[in-house]
Amino acid sequence: MTHVVTDNCEQCRYTECVTVCPVACFRGDGERLFIDPDLCVDCGACVPMCPVHAIVDSFDLEDDQQIWIGVNERRAKELPTVRDRSAPLPTAPDRRAALGY
Amino acid sequence: MNTQTSAEGETTILGACPHDCPDTCSMLVKVKDGKVRAVQGNPSHPFTQGRLCAKTNHYQERVYHAERLLYPMRRTGAKGSGQFERITWDEALNEIAARWRETIAEAGPRAILPYSYLGTQGLVNGLTVGDPFFNKLGATVSERTFCDSGASTAYIMTVGPTPGMDPESFQHSKLIILWACNMLSTNAHMWPFVEKAQRNGAKLIVIDPVRTRGAQQADQHIRIKPGTDTALALAMMNVLVNEDLIDHDYVAQYTTGFEELKAHVQPYTPEFAAEVTGVDAEVIRTLAREYASAQPAAIRIGVGIERSAGGGQLVRAVTSLPALVGAWRKPGGGILQLPLWAFPVNWDGLHRADFIPEGTPVVNQWHLGRALTHDLGLETPIRSLCVYNSNPLVVAPDQTRLIEGLSREDLFTVVSEHFMTDTARYADILLPATTQVEQADLMFSWGHFYLTLNQQAVPPIGEAVTNSELFRRLARAMDFEDPFFYRDDEEIMQASMLWDHPAMQGITMEGLRATGYARLNMPSADTYAPHAQGGFPTPSGKVELKASMAAGGNFVLPVFRQGYNGFQDGGPVDALPTFHVRHESAAKDPALAARFPLSMMSPKSHAFINSNYGNMRRQVAHQGEQYVLINPVDASARGIQQDAIVTVQNGRGTFKALARVTDDAMAGVVVTPLGYWVDRSIAGATPAALNPTAFADLGRAPTFSDNLVEVTLD
Repeated sequence: MTHVVTDNCEQCRYTECVTVCPVACFRGDGERLFIDPDLCVDCGACVPMCPVHAIVDSFDLEDDQQIWIGVNERRAKELPTVRDRSAPLPTAPDRRAALGY
Repeated sequence: MNTQTSAEGETTILGACPHDCPDTCSMLVKVKDGKVRAVQGNPSHPFTQGRLCAKTNHYQERVYHAERLLYPMRRTGAKGSGQFERITWDEALNEIAARWRETIAEAGPRAILPYSYLGTQGLVNGLTVGDPFFNKLGATVSERTFCDSGASTAYIMTVGPTPGMDPESFQHSKLIILWACNMLSTNAHMWPFVEKAQRNGAKLIVIDPVRTRGAQQADQHIRIKPGTDTALALAMMNVLVNEDLIDHDYVAQYTTGFEELKAHVQPYTPEFAAEVTGVDAEVIRTLAREYASAQPAAIRIGVGIERSAGGGQLVRAVTSLPALVGAWRKPGGGILQLPLWAFPVNWDGLHRADFIPEGTPVVNQWHLGRALTHDLGLETPIRSLCVYNSNPLVVAPDQTRLIEGLSREDLFTVVSEHFMTDTARYADILLPATTQVEQADLMFSWGHFYLTLNQQAVPPIGEAVTNSELFRRLARAMDFEDPFFYRDDEEIMQASMLWDHPAMQGITMEGLRATGYARLNMPSADTYAPHAQGGFPTPSGKVELKASMAAGGNFVLPVFRQGYNGFQDGGPVDALPTFHVRHESAAKDPALAARFPLSMMSPKSHAFINSNYGNMRRQVAHQGEQYVLINPVDASARGIQQDAIVTVQNGRGTFKALARVTDDAMAGVVVTPLGYWVDRSIAGATPAALNPTAFADLGRAPTFSDNLVEVTLD
């Protein structure tokens, strides 16, 4: 039971999500964020915060998006916690437009 | 505005979550083209903070579920088969009235038993919605000690019905103990206030046999054998008095019974407690010392705390701790049990216990199985059962016996429900109920200080009715003449609160409609120190370390028994907090402990609210199959590997589950979540089949954590 960050986060790295997470479960590197599935309590607070709708309840993942469950689980264990909001990547506006948001 | 209409024609209605949870969220309900499209936590509510939870994030999936009961039904197959035919409301009400009149003529109204709790906890449709009706009818009174009754009796004996701490004050605490509280699963909106304190240097201690999510986040997790915590609390007191860590000024001014308590706790040494609890004696000493010195220190107890033979006295002890160290002096210090006491609810007006005929007997709802199988020696045996706002087949203990009782052909059973639950399958008449978005209601909270208004978002679906409307129809069917029974929901809402009470100052229905919620008129969380100078609502006005109310014997608060005070338990109560050994233990019953060497706990499921959502794909996917957590030592001794199907059993029953081998469970303790539906279980039974019907020492709390079992590989 967890939410996951999909590849919409790539080239964006918006961090509005971390500001509302009650359990500080977001992990990240310079490129993008992931959710630690052991900490996520499925409160859903982060979902509406992402400008590019990158966060999805694992239950709602399309078949071709199921891969993000394993990726989040693996990468979250390797990366530090991201608690604070910071500027998105310079490529974010273009990426956002390309995604249709 | 109470509604906002967006450019796309979507309207936002201000609603509130209906569920039996301390967080009572302010819920934004998005409606488009007459349907609820989404729900969202209200971002402006200081406790909800813009999020709901794993249970309710997609509440609309419940509202529009294909299996929702939308029409009255009459049973056509055998009891429990779930075979029904659709009938009209008139047919349903006529049959109910005819059967009840017949029963009343033959055996009297006491042969009828209502059974309900908090399917919704709204003031209109919740705890009290059927009380005036059944009280007037003269039905047997249902004593509803589902939750917190033992803790409440103990708490009130100690500090009186004070709201206690504001949960939001916990951000100011220097030391926080979460005692038997699985906060991240059952009180998640309080977590940010606790986490903020922790980030600011407060020490967070979790006392729980299970390594819960909260325990993983804590600075210290004290793992304790289930049902032994009173020894820990009393040993803390032993250290506090013997190392003179007492706030003598506070104790002298604002407590009674200290000298007796001081003598009383001498035998409860850390070494004694270590033996009983499995917690190291030095850990206990350090806990007491840190608790005394890190002020303000806060304790938050969960609802599981009372669930063993000595659970009531445990809450007596824990509730006494803050006064001993002067924790109440500042915001962020004291204890939080049930802030329901802050809400000036017109309980008398809601229960109408004045309707109850003298001599009406009481049946405790944990004894439903026994009541229905004639095992309680009732003067008037139960011939008819009316269930609403509850699903006893999943939550009540002694499940096997309960199935036997519900299967009686001669038991006329009426069930009001959203879905064909395990209990609903045994109904003779099934009645469809509305969900929260189809009704208006006013919500207190038992976890924060906000009153929340749920405004209706869409009309009732199909022929579903609100609980309030159900009881208007039943009153009409039974020819009740008193106009009281025919008030509309607005009138009931108005009558439900004591609007002139100081705590309600500034709060109006108009204001609630505009914002959706209102904080009670209480000091802010930053300044709220309700007992900095005593002022406890007890008979003495002080913290009663020695409880004067003990002399009156054991009781259940009237709010948990339809407002009735007749036939109270009355059993003897230790006046000083006292350690009671578990019912099910080697000390009390060595033969039992030899046969069933493992302790079982059945806490809440993360994705369910009791049995709510146990039939919904999203939440079932999140929960997974019924599992039992078993420690590697216990698993290995039994040849049990991860994901093996195991049988869990004791003298009361048996169920099957998937084994999860983990040290999230202590050695000697197995943990299996409650709430899963029987009809989806591996072998037609769930943990409730093993749960005991014995009461705890106070308030007739259940003893589900005082339960010995064995686990074997299938």
